[in-house]
Amino acid sequence: MLSMSRVRKNAQALAAATCTTLILASTPAWAQDAASADPNPGALTITGSVDFLNQYMFRGIQQNNTGFATWPAFDLGLAAYSGDGGLKSVNINFGTWNSLHNGNTGSDGPSGKLWYESDFYATVGFGFGGGSSFSTTYTAYTSPNSGFTTVKEVMFKYALDDSGYLGKAAIKPYLAIAQEFDTEPGVGQADGGANAGTYMEIGFAPGYAASKASIAFPIKIGLSLSDYYENPLTGEDSKFGYFSIAGIVTVPLGGTTSFGSWNIHGGVEYQALGDTTKFFNGDEGNQVIGSFGLGFSY
Amino acid sequence: MQWSLSAVRWLSVSVLMVLVSVATASPARAQGSADPNPGSLTLTGGFDFANAYFFRGIFQDDTGVVMWPSGELGVALHSGDGVLKSVSVNVGMWNSLHTGDAGSNGPSGKLWYESDFYTGASFGFGRTTVGVTYTAYSSPNQMFGTVKELSFKVAVDDSGLLGAASVKPYALLAQELDGQADGGANEGTYLELGIGPGYSLSKMTVTVPVKVGLSLSDYYEGITGDETFGFASVGGVVTIPLTSAPTRFGSWNIHGGVEFLMLGDRNEAVFGDSSHVIGSVGIGLSY
Repeated sequence: MLSMSRVRKNAQALAAATCTTLILASTPAWAQDAASADPNPGALTITGSVDFLNQYMFRGIQQNNTGFATWPAFDLGLAAYSGDGGLKSVNINFGTWNSLHNGNTGSDGPSGKLWYESDFYATVGFGFGGGSSFSTTYTAYTSPNSGFTTVKEVMFKYALDDSGYLGKAAIKPYLAIAQEFDTEPGVGQADGGANAGTYMEIGFAPGYAASKASIAFPIKIGLSLSDYYENPLTGEDSKFGYFSIAGIVTVPLGGTTSFGSWNIHGGVEYQALGDTTKFFNGDEGNQVIGSFGLGFSY
Repeated sequence: MQWSLSAVRWLSVSVLMVLVSVATASPARAQGSADPNPGSLTLTGGFDFANAYFFRGIFQDDTGVVMWPSGELGVALHSGDGVLKSVSVNVGMWNSLHTGDAGSNGPSGKLWYESDFYTGASFGFGRTTVGVTYTAYSSPNQMFGTVKELSFKVAVDDSGLLGAASVKPYALLAQELDGQADGGANEGTYLELGIGPGYSLSKMTVTVPVKVGLSLSDYYEGITGDETFGFASVGGVVTIPLTSAPTRFGSWNIHGGVEFLMLGDRNEAVFGDSSHVIGSVGIGLSY
Protein backbone atom coordinates (compact mmCIF):
# COMPACT_ATOMS: atom_id res chain seq x y z
CA MET A 1 0.00 0.00 0.00
CA LEU A 2 1.47 3.34 -1.01
CA SER A 3 1.38 6.24 1.42
CA MET A 4 -0.08 9.52 0.18
CA SER A 5 3.34 11.16 0.14
CA ARG A 6 4.68 8.34 -1.96
CA VAL A 7 1.72 8.56 -4.31
CA ARG A 8 2.43 12.29 -4.57
CA LYS A 9 6.10 11.66 -5.34
CA ASN A 10 5.18 9.09 -7.98
CA ALA A 11 2.71 11.51 -9.48
CA GLN A 12 5.29 14.31 -9.47
CA ALA A 13 7.84 12.10 -11.16
CA LEU A 14 5.34 11.01 -13.78
CA ALA A 15 4.24 14.61 -14.33
CA ALA A 16 7.86 15.74 -14.75
CA ALA A 17 8.57 12.98 -17.23
CA THR A 18 5.37 13.73 -19.13
CA CYS A 19 6.13 17.47 -19.30
CA THR A 20 9.66 16.80 -20.49
CA THR A 21 8.38 14.40 -23.11
CA LEU A 22 5.83 16.94 -24.33
CA ILE A 23 8.46 19.68 -24.52
CA LEU A 24 10.75 17.44 -26.51
CA ALA A 25 8.00 16.10 -28.71
CA SER A 26 6.89 19.65 -29.52
CA THR A 27 10.29 20.86 -30.62
CA PRO A 28 9.92 24.25 -32.33
CA ALA A 29 10.04 24.54 -36.07
CA TRP A 30 13.45 26.18 -36.17
CA ALA A 31 14.91 23.21 -34.37
CA GLN A 32 13.20 20.74 -36.72
CA ASP A 33 14.69 22.56 -39.70
CA ALA A 34 18.11 21.53 -38.58
CA ALA A 35 17.08 17.92 -38.10
CA SER A 36 19.38 16.59 -40.78
CA ALA A 37 22.48 18.52 -39.65
CA ASP A 38 24.76 17.16 -36.96
CA PRO A 39 24.47 19.65 -34.09
CA ASN A 40 27.72 18.42 -32.60
CA PRO A 41 30.44 17.45 -35.10
CA GLY A 42 33.21 17.91 -32.53
CA ALA A 43 35.04 15.28 -30.52
CA LEU A 44 33.00 15.51 -27.33
CA THR A 45 29.81 13.55 -26.86
CA ILE A 46 27.31 14.09 -24.08
CA THR A 47 24.85 11.44 -23.02
CA GLY A 48 22.40 11.52 -20.18
CA SER A 49 19.32 9.83 -18.85
CA VAL A 50 16.89 9.63 -15.99
CA ASP A 51 15.12 6.37 -15.22
CA PHE A 52 12.50 5.30 -12.73
CA LEU A 53 12.40 1.76 -11.33
CA ASN A 54 10.42 -0.19 -8.78
CA GLN A 55 13.55 -1.99 -7.57
CA TYR A 56 17.32 -1.49 -7.64
CA MET A 57 19.47 -4.60 -7.78
CA PHE A 58 23.24 -4.09 -8.14
CA ARG A 59 24.59 -7.18 -9.85
CA GLY A 60 21.86 -9.17 -8.16
CA ILE A 61 22.35 -7.60 -4.73
CA GLN A 62 19.19 -5.91 -3.43
CA GLN A 63 19.60 -2.21 -2.67
CA ASN A 64 16.06 -1.21 -1.68
CA ASN A 65 12.82 -3.00 -0.95
CA THR A 66 10.30 -0.20 -0.63
CA GLY A 67 9.52 2.87 -2.70
CA PHE A 68 11.10 3.42 -6.09
CA ALA A 69 14.50 4.35 -7.42
CA THR A 70 15.36 7.24 -9.72
CA TRP A 71 18.56 7.04 -11.74
CA PRO A 72 19.95 10.29 -13.17
CA ALA A 73 23.13 9.71 -15.17
CA PHE A 74 25.50 11.81 -17.23
CA ASP A 75 28.50 10.88 -19.38
CA LEU A 76 31.07 12.90 -21.27
CA GLY A 77 32.93 11.10 -24.02
CA LEU A 78 36.11 12.29 -25.73
CA ALA A 79 36.98 10.80 -29.10
CA ALA A 80 40.73 11.00 -28.60
CA TYR A 81 41.76 9.10 -31.70
CA SER A 82 40.24 7.76 -34.88
CA GLY A 83 42.21 5.93 -37.55
CA ASP A 84 42.22 3.24 -40.21
CA GLY A 85 44.91 0.95 -38.82
CA GLY A 86 44.52 -1.97 -36.47
CA LEU A 87 43.59 0.47 -33.75
CA LYS A 88 40.44 2.16 -35.02
CA SER A 89 39.59 4.41 -32.11
CA VAL A 90 40.52 5.56 -28.63
CA ASN A 91 37.83 7.00 -26.40
CA ILE A 92 37.91 8.46 -22.92
CA ASN A 93 34.76 8.73 -20.86
CA PHE A 94 33.93 10.39 -17.55
CA GLY A 95 30.59 10.09 -15.95
CA THR A 96 28.39 10.06 -12.92
CA TRP A 97 25.54 7.66 -12.20
CA ASN A 98 23.21 8.19 -9.29
CA SER A 99 20.42 6.39 -7.48
CA LEU A 100 17.82 8.37 -5.53
CA HIS A 101 15.51 6.38 -3.27
CA ASN A 102 12.32 7.36 -1.55
CA GLY A 103 12.04 4.03 0.24
CA ASN A 104 13.76 2.24 3.09
CA THR A 105 17.30 3.05 1.88
CA GLY A 106 16.47 6.66 1.02
CA SER A 107 14.24 9.40 2.33
CA ASP A 108 12.04 6.93 4.27
CA GLY A 109 15.07 5.21 5.80
CA PRO A 110 17.26 5.94 8.81
CA SER A 111 19.22 8.69 7.04
CA GLY A 112 16.09 10.49 5.88
CA LYS A 113 18.02 11.41 2.74
CA LEU A 114 17.10 10.63 -0.85
CA TRP A 115 20.56 10.33 -2.42
CA TYR A 116 21.52 6.70 -1.89
CA GLU A 117 24.28 6.22 -4.44
CA SER A 118 26.61 8.37 -6.49
CA ASP A 119 29.13 6.69 -8.76
CA PHE A 120 32.00 8.37 -10.50
CA TYR A 121 33.75 6.53 -13.29
CA ALA A 122 36.44 7.05 -15.90
CA THR A 123 36.95 4.74 -18.87
CA VAL A 124 39.59 4.36 -21.54
CA GLY A 125 38.36 2.32 -24.49
CA PHE A 126 40.16 0.99 -27.55
CA GLY A 127 38.31 -0.01 -30.71
CA PHE A 128 39.83 -2.56 -33.06
CA GLY A 129 38.92 -3.97 -36.43
CA GLY A 130 36.05 -6.42 -36.75
CA GLY A 131 33.93 -4.61 -34.17
CA SER A 132 35.91 -5.71 -31.14
CA SER A 133 36.73 -3.33 -28.34
CA PHE A 134 38.56 -3.40 -25.04
CA SER A 135 38.05 -0.98 -22.19
CA THR A 136 39.25 -0.34 -18.68
CA THR A 137 37.02 1.45 -16.18
CA TYR A 138 37.72 2.80 -12.72
CA THR A 139 34.58 3.31 -10.64
CA ALA A 140 34.08 4.74 -7.18
CA TYR A 141 30.68 3.75 -5.83
CA THR A 142 29.82 6.17 -3.03
CA SER A 143 26.77 6.65 -0.85
CA PRO A 144 25.96 10.27 0.05
CA ASN A 145 23.39 9.12 2.63
CA SER A 146 25.86 6.63 4.13
CA GLY A 147 23.82 3.64 3.01
CA PHE A 148 27.07 1.75 2.31
CA THR A 149 30.80 2.32 2.38
CA THR A 150 32.64 3.50 -0.72
CA VAL A 151 33.54 0.69 -3.11
CA LYS A 152 36.43 1.17 -5.54
CA GLU A 153 36.74 -1.08 -8.54
CA VAL A 154 38.69 -1.58 -11.73
CA MET A 155 36.89 -3.35 -14.55
CA PHE A 156 38.15 -4.75 -17.81
CA LYS A 157 35.70 -5.40 -20.60
CA TYR A 158 35.92 -7.05 -23.98
CA ALA A 159 32.99 -6.56 -26.33
CA LEU A 160 32.25 -7.61 -29.87
CA ASP A 161 29.85 -5.74 -32.11
CA ASP A 162 28.96 -8.45 -34.59
CA SER A 163 26.52 -6.30 -36.54
CA GLY A 164 28.95 -6.36 -39.46
CA TYR A 165 28.72 -10.16 -39.64
CA LEU A 166 25.18 -10.90 -38.56
CA GLY A 167 23.37 -7.70 -39.45
CA LYS A 168 20.07 -7.45 -37.63
CA ALA A 169 20.67 -10.81 -35.97
CA ALA A 170 23.71 -9.46 -34.08
CA ILE A 171 24.02 -10.64 -30.49
CA LYS A 172 26.80 -8.29 -29.32
CA PRO A 173 28.51 -10.51 -26.75
CA TYR A 174 30.76 -9.16 -24.01
CA LEU A 175 32.83 -10.30 -21.08
CA ALA A 176 33.68 -8.12 -18.10
CA ILE A 177 35.88 -8.77 -15.08
CA ALA A 178 35.89 -6.37 -12.13
CA GLN A 179 38.21 -6.30 -9.15
CA GLU A 180 37.43 -4.50 -5.89
CA PHE A 181 40.38 -2.88 -4.17
CA ASP A 182 41.24 -0.80 -1.11
CA THR A 183 38.99 -2.89 1.12
CA GLU A 184 38.81 -3.98 4.73
CA PRO A 185 36.51 -6.58 6.26
CA GLY A 186 32.99 -5.23 5.81
CA VAL A 187 34.27 -2.06 4.13
CA GLY A 188 34.59 -1.19 0.45
CA GLN A 189 32.81 -4.27 -0.86
CA ALA A 190 29.52 -4.66 -2.69
CA ASP A 191 28.62 -7.69 -0.55
CA GLY A 192 29.91 -6.15 2.70
CA GLY A 193 32.00 -9.31 3.10
CA ALA A 194 35.37 -10.15 4.54
CA ASN A 195 37.51 -9.97 1.41
CA ALA A 196 37.76 -7.93 -1.76
CA GLY A 197 35.82 -9.62 -4.53
CA THR A 198 36.43 -10.44 -8.16
CA TYR A 199 33.36 -10.34 -10.38
CA MET A 200 32.78 -11.70 -13.86
CA GLU A 201 29.86 -10.89 -16.14
CA ILE A 202 29.05 -12.52 -19.44
CA GLY A 203 26.32 -11.06 -21.55
CA PHE A 204 24.63 -10.65 -24.89
CA ALA A 205 22.41 -7.91 -26.19
CA PRO A 206 20.45 -9.12 -29.22
CA GLY A 207 18.07 -6.59 -30.59
CA TYR A 208 16.10 -5.33 -33.52
CA ALA A 209 15.79 -1.78 -34.75
CA ALA A 210 12.74 -0.62 -36.71
CA SER A 211 12.01 2.85 -38.04
CA LYS A 212 9.89 3.98 -35.09
CA ALA A 213 11.39 1.99 -32.25
CA SER A 214 14.05 -0.49 -31.29
CA ILE A 215 13.83 -3.45 -28.99
CA ALA A 216 16.69 -5.19 -27.16
CA PHE A 217 16.80 -8.38 -25.13
CA PRO A 218 19.89 -8.12 -22.91
CA ILE A 219 20.85 -11.37 -21.23
CA LYS A 220 23.60 -11.60 -18.63
CA ILE A 221 24.99 -13.77 -15.92
CA GLY A 222 26.98 -12.51 -12.94
CA LEU A 223 29.54 -14.76 -11.28
CA SER A 224 31.99 -14.49 -8.42
CA LEU A 225 35.50 -15.49 -9.39
CA SER A 226 36.58 -14.81 -5.81
CA ASP A 227 34.73 -13.52 -2.74
CA TYR A 228 32.25 -11.35 -4.64
CA TYR A 229 29.12 -12.97 -3.25
CA GLU A 230 30.10 -13.81 0.34
CA ASN A 231 27.22 -15.01 2.48
CA PRO A 232 26.99 -12.78 5.58
CA LEU A 233 26.09 -15.73 7.82
CA THR A 234 28.33 -18.53 6.58
CA GLY A 235 31.07 -16.52 4.86
CA GLU A 236 30.84 -18.92 1.96
CA ASP A 237 31.36 -17.43 -1.47
CA SER A 238 28.56 -18.23 -3.88
CA LYS A 239 29.90 -18.56 -7.41
CA PHE A 240 26.57 -17.91 -9.06
CA GLY A 241 25.30 -14.42 -8.38
CA TYR A 242 22.41 -13.93 -10.74
CA PHE A 243 21.00 -14.48 -14.18
CA SER A 244 19.10 -11.70 -15.91
CA ILE A 245 16.97 -11.42 -19.01
CA ALA A 246 15.16 -8.28 -20.04
CA GLY A 247 13.13 -6.71 -22.80
CA ILE A 248 13.64 -3.00 -23.46
CA VAL A 249 11.81 -0.84 -25.98
CA THR A 250 13.34 2.48 -27.02
CA VAL A 251 11.33 5.06 -28.95
CA PRO A 252 13.21 8.04 -30.48
CA LEU A 253 11.62 11.44 -29.97
CA GLY A 254 11.66 13.37 -33.23
CA GLY A 255 15.03 12.47 -34.69
CA THR A 256 18.20 14.52 -34.29
CA THR A 257 17.60 18.21 -33.60
CA SER A 258 19.81 21.02 -32.39
CA PHE A 259 19.15 19.59 -28.92
CA GLY A 260 20.57 16.20 -29.88
CA SER A 261 18.75 12.88 -30.03
CA TRP A 262 16.20 12.07 -27.35
CA ASN A 263 14.29 8.94 -26.57
CA ILE A 264 11.91 7.40 -24.13
CA HIS A 265 12.46 3.82 -23.10
CA GLY A 266 10.96 1.24 -20.86
CA GLY A 267 11.32 -2.40 -20.04
CA VAL A 268 10.99 -5.34 -17.74
CA GLU A 269 13.85 -7.39 -16.33
CA TYR A 270 13.70 -10.77 -14.66
CA GLN A 271 16.51 -11.86 -12.33
CA ALA A 272 17.10 -15.35 -10.95
CA LEU A 273 19.32 -15.13 -7.89
CA GLY A 274 22.05 -17.31 -6.41
CA ASP A 275 22.27 -18.34 -2.76
CA THR A 276 23.90 -15.16 -1.41
CA THR A 277 21.89 -12.74 -3.52
CA LYS A 278 18.73 -14.65 -2.57
CA PHE A 279 19.64 -14.11 1.08
CA PHE A 280 20.06 -10.36 0.47
CA ASN A 281 16.68 -10.38 -1.29
CA GLY A 282 14.78 -11.61 1.77
CA ASP A 283 15.05 -15.26 0.67
CA GLU A 284 13.23 -14.52 -2.54
CA GLY A 285 15.00 -16.28 -5.39
CA ASN A 286 13.49 -14.19 -8.16
CA GLN A 287 13.00 -10.52 -8.83
CA VAL A 288 11.07 -8.66 -11.50
CA ILE A 289 12.09 -5.07 -12.22
CA GLY A 290 10.09 -2.58 -14.23
CA SER A 291 11.59 0.63 -15.52
CA PHE A 292 10.97 3.56 -17.80
CA GLY A 293 12.97 6.66 -18.54
CA LEU A 294 14.16 9.43 -20.76
CA GLY A 295 17.53 9.52 -22.50
CA PHE A 296 19.51 11.82 -24.74
CA SER A 297 22.67 11.81 -26.78
CA TYR A 298 24.38 14.89 -28.10
CA MET B 1 37.03 5.44 2.58
CA GLN B 2 40.12 7.50 3.18
CA TRP B 3 42.22 8.63 0.26
CA SER B 4 45.81 9.30 1.12
CA LEU B 5 47.12 12.77 0.30
CA SER B 6 49.71 11.34 -2.07
CA ALA B 7 47.05 9.34 -3.92
CA VAL B 8 44.88 12.42 -4.29
CA ARG B 9 47.79 14.50 -5.53
CA TRP B 10 48.80 11.76 -7.94
CA LEU B 11 45.26 11.43 -9.25
CA SER B 12 44.78 15.20 -9.53
CA VAL B 13 48.04 15.74 -11.35
CA SER B 14 47.31 12.79 -13.64
CA VAL B 15 43.84 14.09 -14.51
CA LEU B 16 45.24 17.54 -15.19
CA MET B 17 48.04 16.18 -17.35
CA VAL B 18 45.66 14.00 -19.37
CA LEU B 19 43.23 16.87 -19.91
CA VAL B 20 45.95 19.33 -20.84
CA SER B 21 47.56 16.79 -23.17
CA VAL B 22 44.28 15.98 -24.88
CA ALA B 23 43.37 19.65 -25.18
CA THR B 24 46.69 20.81 -26.51
CA ALA B 25 47.81 17.84 -28.59
CA SER B 26 44.93 17.87 -31.05
CA PRO B 27 45.99 16.62 -34.47
CA ALA B 28 46.53 19.24 -37.13
CA ARG B 29 43.23 18.54 -38.82
CA ALA B 30 41.45 19.39 -35.61
CA GLN B 31 42.90 22.87 -35.36
CA GLY B 32 40.94 25.69 -36.85
CA SER B 33 38.18 28.14 -36.25
CA ALA B 34 35.24 25.87 -37.17
CA ASP B 35 32.74 25.63 -34.36
CA PRO B 36 32.83 22.03 -33.12
CA ASN B 37 29.43 22.44 -31.50
CA PRO B 38 26.93 24.57 -33.42
CA GLY B 39 23.93 22.96 -31.69
CA SER B 40 21.83 24.23 -28.80
CA LEU B 41 23.61 22.47 -25.96
CA THR B 42 26.78 23.78 -24.37
CA LEU B 43 29.03 22.14 -21.85
CA THR B 44 31.27 23.95 -19.42
CA GLY B 45 33.47 22.41 -16.79
CA GLY B 46 36.35 23.10 -14.50
CA PHE B 47 38.72 21.54 -12.04
CA ASP B 48 40.29 23.93 -9.56
CA PHE B 49 42.65 23.57 -6.63
CA ALA B 50 42.64 26.00 -3.71
CA ASN B 51 44.31 26.37 -0.34
CA ALA B 52 41.10 27.31 1.48
CA TYR B 53 37.34 27.35 1.03
CA PHE B 54 35.02 30.07 2.31
CA PHE B 55 31.38 30.03 1.22
CA ARG B 56 30.20 33.62 1.01
CA GLY B 57 32.63 34.51 3.74
CA ILE B 58 31.66 31.57 5.96
CA PHE B 59 34.70 29.46 6.78
CA GLN B 60 34.66 25.85 5.56
CA ASP B 61 38.26 24.61 5.55
CA ASP B 62 41.82 25.87 5.24
CA THR B 63 43.76 22.66 5.77
CA GLY B 64 45.06 20.30 3.12
CA VAL B 65 44.11 20.69 -0.52
CA VAL B 66 40.66 21.77 -1.67
CA MET B 67 39.52 20.64 -5.12
CA TRP B 68 36.51 21.95 -7.03
CA PRO B 69 35.37 19.79 -9.94
CA SER B 70 32.32 21.19 -11.69
CA GLY B 71 30.25 20.72 -14.81
CA GLU B 72 27.29 22.46 -16.37
CA LEU B 73 25.01 21.73 -19.28
CA GLY B 74 23.32 24.71 -20.90
CA VAL B 75 20.38 24.57 -23.27
CA ALA B 76 19.72 27.55 -25.56
CA LEU B 77 15.93 27.57 -25.90
CA HIS B 78 15.42 30.84 -27.70
CA SER B 79 17.43 33.38 -29.62
CA GLY B 80 15.83 36.38 -31.28
CA ASP B 81 16.00 40.04 -32.17
CA GLY B 82 13.12 41.29 -30.04
CA VAL B 83 13.27 42.70 -26.55
CA LEU B 84 13.87 39.21 -25.24
CA LYS B 85 17.11 38.27 -26.95
CA SER B 86 17.71 34.86 -25.42
CA VAL B 87 16.31 32.24 -23.10
CA SER B 88 18.41 29.44 -21.72
CA VAL B 89 18.17 26.84 -19.01
CA ASN B 90 21.08 25.20 -17.32
CA VAL B 91 21.71 22.33 -14.97
CA GLY B 92 24.97 21.63 -13.22
CA MET B 93 26.99 20.28 -10.36
CA TRP B 94 29.69 21.90 -8.27
CA ASN B 95 31.75 19.87 -5.82
CA SER B 96 34.32 20.47 -3.13
CA LEU B 97 36.76 17.71 -2.24
CA HIS B 98 38.94 18.17 0.83
CA THR B 99 42.02 16.35 2.02
CA GLY B 100 42.06 18.36 5.25
CA ASP B 101 39.92 18.68 8.37
CA ALA B 102 36.60 18.92 6.53
CA GLY B 103 37.43 15.93 4.34
CA SER B 104 39.51 12.79 4.37
CA ASN B 105 41.64 13.94 7.31
CA GLY B 106 38.59 14.89 9.38
CA PRO B 107 36.05 13.02 11.50
CA SER B 108 34.20 11.58 8.51
CA GLY B 109 37.34 10.26 6.87
CA LYS B 110 35.73 11.04 3.52
CA LEU B 111 37.01 13.36 0.82
CA TRP B 112 33.70 14.57 -0.66
CA TYR B 113 32.74 17.53 1.50
CA GLU B 114 30.22 19.31 -0.68
CA SER B 115 28.09 18.52 -3.69
CA ASP B 116 25.82 21.20 -5.10
CA PHE B 117 23.16 20.53 -7.66
CA TYR B 118 21.62 23.51 -9.38
CA THR B 119 19.24 24.31 -12.17
CA GLY B 120 18.19 27.65 -13.50
CA ALA B 121 16.83 29.77 -16.30
CA SER B 122 18.17 33.04 -17.64
CA PHE B 123 16.63 35.65 -19.87
CA GLY B 124 18.76 37.96 -21.94
CA PHE B 125 17.60 41.49 -22.72
CA GLY B 126 20.42 42.95 -24.74
CA ARG B 127 23.32 43.47 -22.39
CA THR B 128 21.23 42.74 -19.31
CA THR B 129 20.57 39.20 -18.16
CA VAL B 130 18.07 38.18 -15.49
CA GLY B 131 18.39 34.71 -14.02
CA VAL B 132 16.76 32.51 -11.42
CA THR B 133 18.50 29.49 -9.92
CA TYR B 134 17.53 26.75 -7.52
CA THR B 135 20.47 25.20 -5.65
CA ALA B 136 20.67 22.28 -3.24
CA TYR B 137 23.93 22.38 -1.27
CA SER B 138 24.54 18.94 0.19
CA SER B 139 27.41 17.31 2.05
CA PRO B 140 28.12 13.70 1.06
CA ASN B 141 30.44 13.28 4.06
CA GLN B 142 27.68 14.60 6.33
CA MET B 143 29.61 17.67 7.52
CA PHE B 144 26.61 19.98 7.18
CA GLY B 145 22.88 19.72 6.62
CA THR B 146 21.47 20.22 3.15
CA VAL B 147 20.71 23.85 2.29
CA LYS B 148 18.13 24.61 -0.39
CA GLU B 149 18.10 28.05 -1.92
CA LEU B 150 16.41 30.12 -4.58
CA SER B 151 18.42 32.99 -6.04
CA PHE B 152 17.83 35.77 -8.51
CA LYS B 153 20.58 37.54 -10.40
CA VAL B 154 20.74 40.61 -12.61
CA ALA B 155 23.94 41.09 -14.58
CA VAL B 156 25.12 43.59 -17.18
CA ASP B 157 27.72 42.66 -19.76
CA ASP B 158 29.36 45.88 -20.87
CA SER B 159 32.01 44.18 -22.97
CA GLY B 160 32.74 46.22 -26.05
CA LEU B 161 31.52 49.49 -24.60
CA LEU B 162 34.84 50.25 -22.93
CA GLY B 163 37.20 48.92 -25.55
CA ALA B 164 39.11 45.89 -24.34
CA ALA B 165 38.02 46.60 -20.77
CA SER B 166 34.73 45.77 -19.06
CA VAL B 167 33.20 46.15 -15.59
CA LYS B 168 30.36 43.58 -15.64
CA PRO B 169 28.34 44.62 -12.58
CA TYR B 170 25.80 42.26 -11.01
CA ALA B 171 23.47 41.85 -8.05
CA LEU B 172 22.45 38.52 -6.59
CA LEU B 173 19.63 37.96 -4.12
CA ALA B 174 19.32 34.52 -2.50
CA GLN B 175 16.66 33.17 -0.18
CA GLU B 176 17.23 30.01 1.85
CA LEU B 177 14.23 27.71 1.62
CA ASP B 178 15.31 24.89 3.89
CA GLY B 179 18.54 24.55 5.87
CA GLN B 180 20.98 27.35 6.60
CA ALA B 181 24.51 28.19 5.57
CA ASP B 182 25.22 29.79 8.96
CA GLY B 183 23.61 26.99 10.96
CA GLY B 184 21.54 29.64 12.69
CA ALA B 185 17.97 29.79 13.95
CA ASN B 186 16.23 31.09 10.83
CA GLU B 187 16.52 30.81 7.07
CA GLY B 188 18.43 33.76 5.72
CA THR B 189 18.26 36.21 2.86
CA TYR B 190 21.54 37.09 1.17
CA LEU B 191 22.52 39.95 -1.12
CA GLU B 192 25.71 40.07 -3.14
CA LEU B 193 26.86 43.05 -5.15
CA GLY B 194 29.82 42.71 -7.41
CA ILE B 195 31.76 43.74 -10.44
CA GLY B 196 34.12 41.77 -12.61
CA PRO B 197 36.32 44.30 -14.36
CA GLY B 198 38.56 42.68 -16.86
CA TYR B 199 40.99 43.31 -19.64
CA SER B 200 41.71 41.08 -22.60
CA LEU B 201 45.23 40.79 -23.90
CA SER B 202 46.33 38.82 -26.92
CA LYS B 203 47.39 35.75 -24.97
CA MET B 204 45.38 36.02 -21.78
CA THR B 205 42.55 37.68 -19.90
CA VAL B 206 42.93 39.43 -16.56
CA THR B 207 39.92 40.01 -14.32
CA VAL B 208 39.68 41.70 -10.95
CA PRO B 209 36.43 40.52 -9.32
CA VAL B 210 35.24 42.62 -6.41
CA LYS B 211 32.22 41.69 -4.32
CA VAL B 212 30.42 42.37 -1.08
CA GLY B 213 28.22 39.85 0.72
CA LEU B 214 25.42 41.17 2.93
CA SER B 215 22.68 39.66 5.05
CA LEU B 216 19.29 41.18 4.39
CA SER B 217 17.80 38.91 7.03
CA ASP B 218 19.32 36.20 9.24
CA TYR B 219 22.03 35.13 6.80
CA TYR B 220 24.95 35.77 9.15
CA GLU B 221 23.52 34.88 12.54
CA GLY B 222 25.99 35.00 15.43
CA ILE B 223 25.79 35.09 19.20
CA THR B 224 24.78 38.75 19.08
CA GLY B 225 22.17 38.25 16.38
CA ASP B 226 22.27 38.81 12.65
CA GLU B 227 25.12 40.83 11.22
CA THR B 228 24.52 42.66 7.95
CA PHE B 229 28.09 42.75 6.68
CA GLY B 230 29.35 39.28 5.82
CA PHE B 231 32.44 39.81 3.74
CA ALA B 232 34.16 41.82 1.06
CA SER B 233 36.61 40.37 -1.39
CA VAL B 234 38.89 41.46 -4.15
CA GLY B 235 40.71 39.07 -6.41
CA GLY B 236 42.92 38.86 -9.43
CA VAL B 237 42.46 36.05 -11.95
CA VAL B 238 44.55 35.32 -15.03
CA THR B 239 43.08 33.04 -17.69
CA ILE B 240 45.24 31.65 -20.47
CA PRO B 241 43.59 29.83 -23.40
CA LEU B 242 45.38 26.61 -24.30
CA THR B 243 44.69 27.06 -28.00
CA SER B 244 44.23 30.19 -30.10
CA ALA B 245 40.93 28.91 -31.52
CA PRO B 246 38.36 26.29 -30.51
CA THR B 247 39.44 22.75 -31.31
CA ARG B 248 37.17 19.78 -31.83
CA PHE B 249 37.55 19.26 -28.08
CA GLY B 250 36.22 22.76 -27.42
CA SER B 251 38.05 25.66 -25.80
CA TRP B 252 40.29 24.90 -22.86
CA ASN B 253 42.13 27.21 -20.53
CA ILE B 254 44.28 27.26 -17.45
CA HIS B 255 43.64 29.90 -14.87
CA GLY B 256 44.92 30.97 -11.53
CA GLY B 257 44.40 33.72 -9.07
CA VAL B 258 44.54 35.19 -5.62
CA GLU B 259 41.59 36.44 -3.56
CA PHE B 260 41.81 38.66 -0.50
CA LEU B 261 38.88 38.20 1.84
CA MET B 262 37.82 40.60 4.59
CA LEU B 263 35.32 39.15 7.03
CA GLY B 264 32.53 40.66 9.10
CA ASP B 265 32.45 40.19 12.85
CA ARG B 266 30.32 37.05 12.78
CA ASN B 267 32.48 35.32 10.17
CA GLU B 268 35.65 36.55 11.88
CA ALA B 269 34.47 34.99 15.14
CA VAL B 270 33.95 31.63 13.42
CA PHE B 271 37.23 31.71 11.52
CA GLY B 272 39.37 33.32 14.19
CA ASP B 273 40.82 36.00 11.95
CA SER B 274 39.47 39.04 10.15
CA SER B 275 40.97 38.28 6.74
CA HIS B 276 42.41 35.52 4.63
CA VAL B 277 44.18 35.07 1.32
CA ILE B 278 43.04 32.29 -0.98
CA GLY B 279 45.12 31.06 -3.88
CA SER B 280 43.76 28.86 -6.63
CA VAL B 281 44.75 27.30 -9.94
CA GLY B 282 42.72 25.22 -12.34
CA ILE B 283 41.71 24.11 -15.78
CA GLY B 284 38.51 25.03 -17.59
CA LEU B 285 36.53 23.80 -20.57
CA SER B 286 33.88 25.36 -22.74
CA TYR B 287 32.26 23.31 -25.52
